[in-house]
Amino acid sequence: MSAAVLVRPAGDGGGPVVAVRPGAHVLRDVPAGPSLAAHRRRTPPPPKLPLADLVARVREVDVRGRGGAGFPFATKLEAAAGAGRRREVVVNLSEGEPVSFKDAALALTRPHLVLDGAVLVARALGSRVVHVVLPGDRPGVAAAVRRAVDERGREDRRTRWRVHRAADRFVAGQAHAVVELMSGRPNLPVTAWQPVALHGYRGRPTLLSNAETFAHVALLAGAGAVAYAGAGTDEEPGTRLLTLDGDGERPTVTEVPHGTPWEDLLTDDALDGPVLVGGYHGTWAAPGALRGLTVSRTAMAAAGLSLGAGVVLPLSPGDCPVHRTAAIVAYLAGQSARRCGPCRHGLPALADAVRATDRGLDVSARAGELAGLVTGRGACAHPDGTARTVTSMLAAYGDEVAAHAGGECGYRRSSLVARSVGRGR
Amino acid sequence: MSTRLRVDWPSCRGRGLCSEVLPELISLDEWGYPVVHDDVPPELLGLAREAARTCPTLALRLVTR
Amino acid sequence: MTGPFLWYANRGTGVVLLVLLTVTALLGVLATHGAAGGRVPRFLPQAVHRTLSLTCAALLLAHVTTAVVDEYVDIRWWQVLLPVGATYRPLWLGLGTVAFDLVLVVVATSLLRARLPHRAWRTLHVSAYACWALSVAHGLGIGTDAGSPWARRTGLVCVAAVALAGAARLAGLGLTRWRRARATAADALLVTGGGR
Repeated sequence: MSAAVLVRPAGDGGGPVVAVRPGAHVLRDVPAGPSLAAHRRRTPPPPKLPLADLVARVREVDVRGRGGAGFPFATKLEAAAGAGRRREVVVNLSEGEPVSFKDAALALTRPHLVLDGAVLVARALGSRVVHVVLPGDRPGVAAAVRRAVDERGREDRRTRWRVHRAADRFVAGQAHAVVELMSGRPNLPVTAWQPVALHGYRGRPTLLSNAETFAHVALLAGAGAVAYAGAGTDEEPGTRLLTLDGDGERPTVTEVPHGTPWEDLLTDDALDGPVLVGGYHGTWAAPGALRGLTVSRTAMAAAGLSLGAGVVLPLSPGDCPVHRTAAIVAYLAGQSARRCGPCRHGLPALADAVRATDRGLDVSARAGELAGLVTGRGACAHPDGTARTVTSMLAAYGDEVAAHAGGECGYRRSSLVARSVGRGR
Repeated sequence: MSTRLRVDWPSCRGRGLCSEVLPELISLDEWGYPVVHDDVPPELLGLAREAARTCPTLALRLVTR
Repeated sequence: MTGPFLWYANRGTGVVLLVLLTVTALLGVLATHGAAGGRVPRFLPQAVHRTLSLTCAALLLAHVTTAVVDEYVDIRWWQVLLPVGATYRPLWLGLGTVAFDLVLVVVATSLLRARLPHRAWRTLHVSAYACWALSVAHGLGIGTDAGSPWARRTGLVCVAAVALAGAARLAGLGLTRWRRARATAADALLVTGGGR
């Protein structure tokens, strides 16, 4: 693997500083810089592809959304195209997941690949406007994207760009929350009677996708399906960006071909310890579970795991998965939009239950019950994702949970004193 | 083709009138919010419509897929 | 056409409407109170409120029809809808007319409640309070029996009941707002406490 490059946002825009490992496709030529000129030296402007053509290419290599849900992009394109004449295109760069940096990396190193993809899709859908959603809490990233958008104005006079700044919340990047933001209302989720692809901004079909997804579309259109499928496997062509955390170092964004064994990416210590895959709504891998697995949606799914937004969090030695889950759920409970009763009441209760489990009280059954109670009962998937992390922890680390109930923590090598848990929330 | 009761969660205030009208399909969780257990069978369609009509905030909807 | 029957029908429906509209309003306030789980199911006050209000609408139709048909007083049919140009007690009649218009609005929007945005329906429905007040004033001013002691007592009880219910409703709304504000403040602590 190539050495990581530290990328700093230009000017005084503020953080974050992101470590990026230059790759072979999406993260190619990172050291050349993010300017449009540098980009155009290696990539011609996006061609005007008819919609049917674009859909066929995307379907051929099964491009999936990179925002966490992994939805087939071809299906989304067709749905949007079939739902009305005036379509909207939205690039979601809000990256509300605090431990994910892949979209930030793209914004700081290859923003024009993302924007090329967006223009491609917009033209295929007959739209002259592209919306870009910026993160609320990473000013350096927001500034970099604005610069890139400004640069494009000179090259392409037909496409109009609308930039929106997301709120500084975990749920700000949710599709309907983004449409709310674009419509001038609070950046919070609302009930989805229809997916945004069918009925989104101003009631129009809205193709909203993660920034990385657009980057892959641009790559595909430029290189062609054969070249694109040169990386990855036959079932899952292409690559994906992962944010690899761990070992006390800065999280590093790496481009990884599908099918890469995890053993090639993580140290032995990391592989044999607890790893949270997918971010704060992700799933816990039991010690050693990743050894036989590859970076593949299907392989991971078969093992009950999910790549999610591509965040990989191995725990440091001495860090306990139960304890970490308690902290994560407490954070996620605080990030609830508080619009839906089961989430507003259930997540803090779940946080209390997991914290109590960590402290040695035998309430893991209650935690499991609450996880089931909040799933599917909200306007968005925030409670679902939170419940998923808890459920996977209970499943993969049942022994550790039992140890906690007995007053011991196997990771911190210490005795637990079960204190009574106050109402806290 | 199935008929389901869907809750508009941001509108739901947990008043519980729906579960009074249709206890066969709707129960309340510990905070008073509805738990919908199943799709609506044909014989309960009338009551399901009534439950949707009774919701004070119009948070319950009958949807057919 | 005239005769004592029409006149008594008009007076009778008027008095009954005063009481029934009051009960309707009280049930309306009761329907917003509390959640499921008590001995009386929560959908009951709501259901009775709906049925009773439709009954009142029917009685109201009888009330205005007898007023128009009775030739003893000169009330034209269009004065039922428009509060202008009346010759018989124009001010008090006008109040009744406006009340009638509001009844039409409230009943129509409620029958179509599922098709309206909930906020819009609710805002319009609040005009029911004004409708009730106008009806009471109309009765006081134009009612033949307004002067008698039993009518006075009835009217007083009705006004007191709705005033009390209205005050309770406002207090309830204020309490909800206070509770929400407190919850928001608690969340602010939770969010900053969680951190990244």
